[in-house]
Amino acid sequence: MTQAVVCHHLSFTYPNGHQGLHDLSLSIEQGEIFGFLGPNGAGKTTTIKLLLGLMKPTAGDLLVLGGKPAEPKTRAAIGYLPEVANYYDFLTIGELLSFYGALCGMSRQKINDRTMELAQLTGLETRLKTPLRQFSKGMLQRAGLCQALLHDPALLILDEPMTGLDPIARSQMRGILENLRKDGKTIFFSSHELSEAEIMCDRVGVLCDGGLRWHGPTRDMAGDGSENLERKFLKIISEGK
Amino acid sequence: MGKIFAIAKLSVLELFRKKDVYVAIVLALVAIVPLAVVNAFGIEGAVRYIREVALLLVWGFSVIICVTTSARQIPNETQRKTILPLLAKPVSRAQIALGKTLGSIIASWGALAMFYGCYIVIAGLKSGIWIEPVLLQSVILHACFAALACSMTVCGSLALTPSANITACLLIIAGGLLFGDHLPDLINKAPGLFRPPLIGLEYVLPRFELFDLRARVIHSHAPVPAGVFLFILLYGAAYSAVFMGLAAGLFKRKQY
Repeated sequence: MTQAVVCHHLSFTYPNGHQGLHDLSLSIEQGEIFGFLGPNGAGKTTTIKLLLGLMKPTAGDLLVLGGKPAEPKTRAAIGYLPEVANYYDFLTIGELLSFYGALCGMSRQKINDRTMELAQLTGLETRLKTPLRQFSKGMLQRAGLCQALLHDPALLILDEPMTGLDPIARSQMRGILENLRKDGKTIFFSSHELSEAEIMCDRVGVLCDGGLRWHGPTRDMAGDGSENLERKFLKIISEGK
Repeated sequence: MGKIFAIAKLSVLELFRKKDVYVAIVLALVAIVPLAVVNAFGIEGAVRYIREVALLLVWGFSVIICVTTSARQIPNETQRKTILPLLAKPVSRAQIALGKTLGSIIASWGALAMFYGCYIVIAGLKSGIWIEPVLLQSVILHACFAALACSMTVCGSLALTPSANITACLLIIAGGLLFGDHLPDLINKAPGLFRPPLIGLEYVLPRFELFDLRARVIHSHAPVPAGVFLFILLYGAAYSAVFMGLAAGLFKRKQY
C-alpha cells in the first residue's frame, strides 16, 4: 500500500508565537479513512491548512500524494470540504460547480456530467438553479461536498463534514464516504464527534495542544469493549496535558 | 489563461449581481443626463461647459468605481472564507491575483463604456459632432488609466487594510490627477531637504495625469501625436504589469 500523506516532525508556529502544531509525524495509507480527532483548538484545522498548502510549515517535511501541497498539480488530486460552508451566495450550485470545474481544468461537458451526477448523489438535483443564499446550512454542506468531489480527487480532506447535517443527511454522508472508500479514495476526516469516527474510520489520530497523543486502528482505541471510545479519548487527552 | 478568466468572470458577475456598480452608474447618469437639456446662458461656449462638467463627472465616478471595486476583491474572499476552497483548488496564487485584477478592470471598463456612451450622446446632441479622434484617444487612455488604478488598488489590498487602502489609493490618484502637472515645479522650488522625497515620489508613483486628455477634448484640440499616445499606453501597461507582479508576490507570501 502506498502512502497518501507523509509528514515528519511537522511543526507550525503562528506569527504571534502560538505553536499550532508540534512535531507531528504521521502517515496515511491510500484507500483508508483516517479520523483526526481532538478538542477545539487542538490543531486539526492547522494540520489541514498545511496539507492543503495554505500555510507553510515552520519545520518538518510534508508530502501529499507524493508532492508538495503548495504545488497546484498536487492539489489537483485533493478535494477539500471546509468546516464552515461559505461559498459565493450570488451563484447557483450549477454556476459554483462550473467555476470550480474551470479552476480544475475540466471541460464544459465533463463539468456538466459531474454536476448532474453529484447533484443526484447529494439530493440537490432539483436545486441546481437556486441561488446559494437560499440554501439551508445542511444544503450548503452538501454543496460543499459536491465541490470537493467535482474533479474526482484521490484524497479527500474533510473538516468537520457532519456539521449542520440532520440524522438523515448524516447517514447519506456516511454512505457516500463508504462508497468513496470502496472506489479506493483516501479520506482524511477531522472531527470532534467520536461516534462518527468510530463508525467510519479505519484508523484515528488524537491531537491535543498541537501534538499527536495517540494514533492507531480505531478498534485498538475502542479496546476490548471494557471502555468506550469517549472514555479512552478523554483519558488520552488528560494524559497528554 | 482559462483559470484567470474564470476568476475574472466570477468577479465581474459578483459586482453586477450584487448591484454595487449600479449605484455609481445611476448616480453618474443622474448627474450627466440633465446636462443634455441645459442651454447654458444661450451662448456658444455652452458645449464646452457641458463637456467639462460631464467629463469631470465621468472621471470622478470612474476613479471611485475602480478603487472601491478593486479594493474589495481579495479581502472579501478572506472575510467570507471563500478563500479556503478557492486556494485548495489547483490554481496558483498568481493566477488568483491576476484573475481578480482582470475582473475589476473589466468591470471598470464596463462602467466606462456606459459613462462615455452617455457622454457621446449628450455632447453629440449639443455640438452635432459625435466621435472626434481626440475623444477616441481620451477614452483609450482613460481605459488604460482604469487598468492601472485597478492593478495598484488590488496590490494595495494585499498590504493594507481595506479602508486604509481605499484612502491611500484615492489620495494618490486624485493627487496625481490634480497636482501631478505641478510636481516638477514643486521640486524645483522645494528647499533642499524636501527635494529627495519629492523626486522619489515623482519617479515611483505612476503619473496619472498623463492619461487625462480632458482639456484637449473640451477645447477640441488636435489629437496627441501617435508616438506620444503609444508611449503613454506602454507606460500604463508597464506600471500595471509591475503592480500585478507585486500583487502576485505579496499574495504568495500570505498564510491562511
